[in-house]
Parts: sequence; C-alpha cells; structure tokens
Amino acid sequence: MAFSLPLQAPWAAQGWKAKIRDKERTEPPRITILRGTRAWRFGLRSREFLDEIPEPKDVPEDLVDVVRHALPQLILEWDKMYPENPVSSAGGDDE
Amino acid sequence: MSEPIFLLGSKADAARIGPAIQAVTSAEDFRAALRHRRARWFAFRENVLSGLLGQMVEPSDTWHRILLLQRPSAGRQEVLRALFRVVVTPNDTMKLLAAEDLQEVLKGEHAEDYFIGGMVDRDDNMLVLYRGDLDRLLVPLDFFMKKDQAVKPDFADFDITDVGQTLRFGDYEAASSAVLYEFDAAARKRMRERERDQDATFGGALKRLRLSKGVSRGDFPGLDAKTVARIERNEVQAPHGDTLGILAKRLRVKPEAIKTY
Repeated sequence: MAFSLPLQAPWAAQGWKAKIRDKERTEPPRITILRGTRAWRFGLRSREFLDEIPEPKDVPEDLVDVVRHALPQLILEWDKMYPENPVSSAGGDDE
Repeated sequence: MSEPIFLLGSKADAARIGPAIQAVTSAEDFRAALRHRRARWFAFRENVLSGLLGQMVEPSDTWHRILLLQRPSAGRQEVLRALFRVVVTPNDTMKLLAAEDLQEVLKGEHAEDYFIGGMVDRDDNMLVLYRGDLDRLLVPLDFFMKKDQAVKPDFADFDITDVGQTLRFGDYEAASSAVLYEFDAAARKRMRERERDQDATFGGALKRLRLSKGVSRGDFPGLDAKTVARIERNEVQAPHGDTLGILAKRLRVKPEAIKTY
C-alpha cells in the first residue's frame, strides 16, 4: 500500500500530499510531494529536492520541515517497499 | 509538438480552460479546424456534435484525437472512430479524470505527461492509457508486478488520481512518471533534463534501469556481478558489444537505449 505522510492543516486543505507509491522510479529513493499537476521529488539519501523543475522554492519551507522531520519514518517505509534498493545502500549496491 | 486544441462548445467554455483553446461554434469553424494535420478536440456535452459530424464528408489521413465527456450513441461512436484517430469517451470500463482535474491538465505545459483516462484489458493483460494530449500508451500489466511485493495491484479496481499523476489499482499506487519514464523516451528525456546533480554516465543509466526492472547484478547470464558493478561504477570505459547485448537482452531494451535511462 502506498505510504501517505499525514499532513496537518493547512497543507492538506490546500491540496498538498506527500507519498511514496508502490511503483516509483526506483533510483534514487524519494518521497514525492504533490499538489495539483505538480510533483516535487525529495531525495531520502540527499535530503534535498532532486529536480530543478518544478522549482523547490514553490514548496512552503514549513512543509519541507515536516518532510525532513519525518525522514526516519520515510526511510523505513521506502526500505519496506523497495528492499532491492534501500536508502541505506547509498547507491543500490547489491554485491 | 505544438498543435491546435479545439473545444466543441462556447467561447466562454473555452476561455475557462485556457487561452490556448479555440472554440468551434459553427460548421464553418469545424471545417476549417479539420484542415489541420494534427489537432486535439474536446467536447464536454454530446449535443454539441449534432449538425457538425455530418460536415466531414470523408475520413482523411490526419492525426485528430477527440475526448468526449458524455457517452455517445453506438452509431455516433462509430462515426467518431471513422473520423478521428483516437476517440476517448466514457464507457463501462473507461476511467476518466474528473472534469475539473482534466481542465488542470489541459492548462499545463506538458499535458502529455499526465494520464487523463484508461482501461484495463484483462484478455491481453494490457493497460490502455490516454495522455493529456490524447495519445495512447499501452502498458503490459506485468510492469506493475514484482517478486515478493507486499501489496499486489487489483486490476479490477482501477482509477486515475492526483490529477493524472497516479494510477491506482485497489490499494496499490503507481506513479505516472514511472510509467512514462519506462515507456516513452521523450518523456524520459524531459525528466532527466529537470534533474539536479544527475549521474549522466552510462554506468548511472545502467544502474537506474537495472533497479527499475528489479534485476540484481548477479542476474545477467554470461556476466558476473562484479563486472556489472564495474560497468555501473564507470570503471569500464566502453563495454564490449557482446556485454551490451547481454545487458540489453536481460533488461528488455535495445542496447543503444540503455544510456537514455
């Protein structure tokens, strides 16, 4: 089951979501912040946004803080869903 | 590619969707619009087609696609199929985005990066998806399956959510971007161009592709895991043609496509 990070008001009311879906591009591990037609990938290894577009500054800093505070839980969820490429492997090495 | 977008309806309806949408309100407009080689068409109500479809004397070899948000009669459905390359209409198995979400997609810069409709074909184990530009994409259902997955997709309970950015099969969700990255080279190129600090090497691309397919380094017949690891770390400057062939065959892509992932 996809993991949705619970978001408090006002984020949820404004249509913000943060998810790890069952089928994502596997590398690098990330949580996706969604609003309307836009999606921002936030790296669970780098702890930074993975893309330049859409612009990371369009995500409210307080919401980014919520995601950063939840990182330990997000890493657990990712590793459970993607055991073949866990966050801790730092690059998907499976030797 | 830029192409005109026509709405069969009033100018006020077209303006609500966006400035790029041209309203077609008369038979004369309709005939003129049909002269384009490619175009997207939208109609929210079926009754706007009355009196217009008869204006198309004969089908031509064009790339016109239409989305009609009301279910047409069987006869009209066939007329539409004869005249448009792709016809997307509600039916018993088609899932469509809600009208307000559809409008959001149409306003966006890359409508083709969102799915606005789709249906599951269990006979052939395929998912038929319609993108915001009304082009079709066929995806094998086994793309959503992997070994030992905790939640299996329920293909009998399919829907499109998150304004076209997520495909839902029961409790299972797939990112539309994951589907497009796998099956559309142009979308994959756009996504890679947006990435920060991307590893643009052959080894980086091979690793992303291998992980996306759920293949381990030790699962390439004829290659040992250490060789694959060396290639992914770019310690092999130019993998031999035979090696490329083994990698590509196991990953089910053409050898020259590996570097695009």
